[in-house]
This record gives sequence, structure tokens and C-alpha cells, in this order.
Amino acid sequence: MGVVKPKKHPPHTDMTAMTDVAFLLLTFFIMTATFKTNDAEITTPTSISQIKVPDDELMIISIDKDGKVYFGVDAKPTRIEMLDNIAQTKGISFSDVEKAKFSIQTSFGLPINQLKPWLNMPKDQMASVKQPGIPTDSTGTSELADWVYAARKANPGLRIALKGDNIAKFPKFKDVLANLQSQNINKFSLITGSEDAPAGFKE
Amino acid sequence: MAAIEESGGGGHGKGDGKVRGKKMSTRVDMTPMVDLGFLLITFFMLATTMSKPTAMSVFFPDKQEDKKEEQTEPLKASKVLTLFMGANDDVYYLDGVSADDDNAQASLKTTRHGAELRDVIFASQRRINAANPKDDKGNEAFVVVIKPTDVSSYKNMVDVLDEMAITKSKRYALVDFLSDAEKKVLGDKIKPKN
Repeated sequence: MGVVKPKKHPPHTDMTAMTDVAFLLLTFFIMTATFKTNDAEITTPTSISQIKVPDDELMIISIDKDGKVYFGVDAKPTRIEMLDNIAQTKGISFSDVEKAKFSIQTSFGLPINQLKPWLNMPKDQMASVKQPGIPTDSTGTSELADWVYAARKANPGLRIALKGDNIAKFPKFKDVLANLQSQNINKFSLITGSEDAPAGFKE
Repeated sequence: MAAIEESGGGGHGKGDGKVRGKKMSTRVDMTPMVDLGFLLITFFMLATTMSKPTAMSVFFPDKQEDKKEEQTEPLKASKVLTLFMGANDDVYYLDGVSADDDNAQASLKTTRHGAELRDVIFASQRRINAANPKDDKGNEAFVVVIKPTDVSSYKNMVDVLDEMAITKSKRYALVDFLSDAEKKVLGDKIKPKN
């Protein structure tokens, strides 16, 4: 009876500081987040180059590990204009719905004759289609050069970047290069991961 | 956590008439907010790709000028390090020896990408630059000829181009043509495996 029990306080830690930190980090990550796109998974080689890839006005030709070639242009209006250009040269026409659907694709890898059926699919099916890649065969049909031409016609300021997978075979790169050179493009960037220069390296 | 019923139900027995406003604790329980915060942090951390890709600029010679090339002086084999990229990240090289030479087969050596290849390039660079004076434009004599073969990968090519930047070899050429002599020297090494 006489024992005075100390009043039990639940241990109360002040969370405010932790919340501050948590939300600071959260803000940082939200700001820096660039989401992974639904493009083909490509693991690029690394280089010691320090030049950052520009964010806009960029045309990316990707070669995945099986040697399939994908093509992507950054801005929506450019994509639509590019589609118009290619439709003109190939004598096909695309409806506004198809154009709108095409404009939200960051990249694609289909021969031109398969493009229309693909754009007519429902959205969830489009993602599941196995894209065969843009034909680049230097001897047979090659459509990559046409796409590059159409894109450059839509926006002459486009920079060209090539993004290849580590294990893509060299002949595939040669085919892509031949396509570019047929358009008189001899200067472009190779997208690589960054890597530290070996010790003792000076610029 | 449950900090609600603190000194609840007091006050009545005192009987001094004044009804005081009950002092509510202003403390808000932050735990759920912190939980949510960290959950979102985790999500964004995983969704973010932190290392921004870098770009490597490459220039290729104009294809149309092929015809003029015959007028230029052929490179002396003694000033050239020829790198052949084979399968499985192997690099074969001829250091200052032409593939037409009789001893080409014997002097073809194998190395690996990375530090090993770098040492080979540095050694050859030093040797050739010491033996040959700079040309009248002030360029060093050392020239690297890079020959990717059909069995090499895109990574091999980028790696070698990167080595050029690391070793500061200013003069290099990417040639995808193998002469008959070179094919003979390389033999089975560049045959596809199927």
C-alpha cells in the first residue's frame, strides 16, 4: 500500500527531427528521380568520359543484347512529325489516334509494316508484344536510315546517340553505323556508364 | 504512444468552482508520418537511377572520301600497334609488325581488356615514340589500328576506344576490314563458334 509507484510514462521519443530528415531525403529523391522507362533493358559499357548525355533534342538508337535495334526520339511533337514524314515516304497514313499513341512511346523496334497493327492494340497488349527490332541489314532491307532521316527532317537539331548493350555483337554496330553513314552522319555519341579513370590519369 | 488519458478525470473532486479548460497535449504522434516518409524514401531510392549515363563522342571518317585515300602515304608498320578484338574479351595484337611479315604469326600476342591491355598500349607507345621523331605537324608517331572482328562485342569496342582516351593515344583508327594476311594470322581465333 505504502509503496509509491512512480507514474508510468510511456517512453516518448521526439520524432520531429527524424521526420525532418526523412522528408528532406524524400524531397531529394523525388526531385532527382528519373523513372526507368519501358525500353528494352540495356546494360551499357562504361567509359571514363565525363560528358553528360544531354536531356533534350536527342535521338537514341539502342542495340539490345540480341542485336535488336530500337529507335527513340525525345519530344512528343517531334515524334508525331517524324511519323508523318515516314508515312509520306512509305505511302501509308496514320490516324490521329495512332499518332497520339505513337507519341507516347519512348522507343520502338518494329518494321514499318508492323507499326500500324501494333499501334491499334490496346495499351496493355502493346507492352507485351515482343518487338523484333528495326531492320538494319546492310544487304537486305534497312529502315533505320529512313527513320533517322524522318527524325532529322522533323527536328534538324537532334543529336544522335547510340546506346549499345555490352554483349551486342560488333557486326550489328557496323550495320547501324552503315545506316548512319548513308545519311552522312559521321559524328555521334556513344552512351556509356561512368567509370573512374585509373589512378594517375590526368586530363 | 497512447498519450491521451493523461490526468483525465481529475478536476472534479477539487470543488473550487472554476472550470478550467482542459489542457490538451499539443504533441502529435509522428510515428505514422515517419513510417510513411521512409516507405516513400525506400520506393524512390529504388526507382531512381543515380548514375547518369555519360556520352562518348566518336567521329568516323566520311565514307564518300574513300577514293582519295589511295593518294595518302601508307602507314609504316613499325609505327603501328594493331589490336584485334576476338571472342571472350581476348585482344590479339601486333606491335610494330605488319601482318604480311613472315614472323607475324610468331609475334601475335594475346592480352585481356583492362589493365593488361593498357600496359601493352603504354609499352608500345613509349617504344614507338622513342624510336620515331614527331612528324612536322608535331604529332606523335604512335598509331593504333583497332580492328574489331565479327566475334567481338560492342563492349570490346567501347573499351578499346576508352583505352585510347586513357592512354592519350591521339591517333587511332577503327577499321572493320581484315586483310587476307590478317585473316591468315588470326586463323581460327576469329571464327564464330557455331
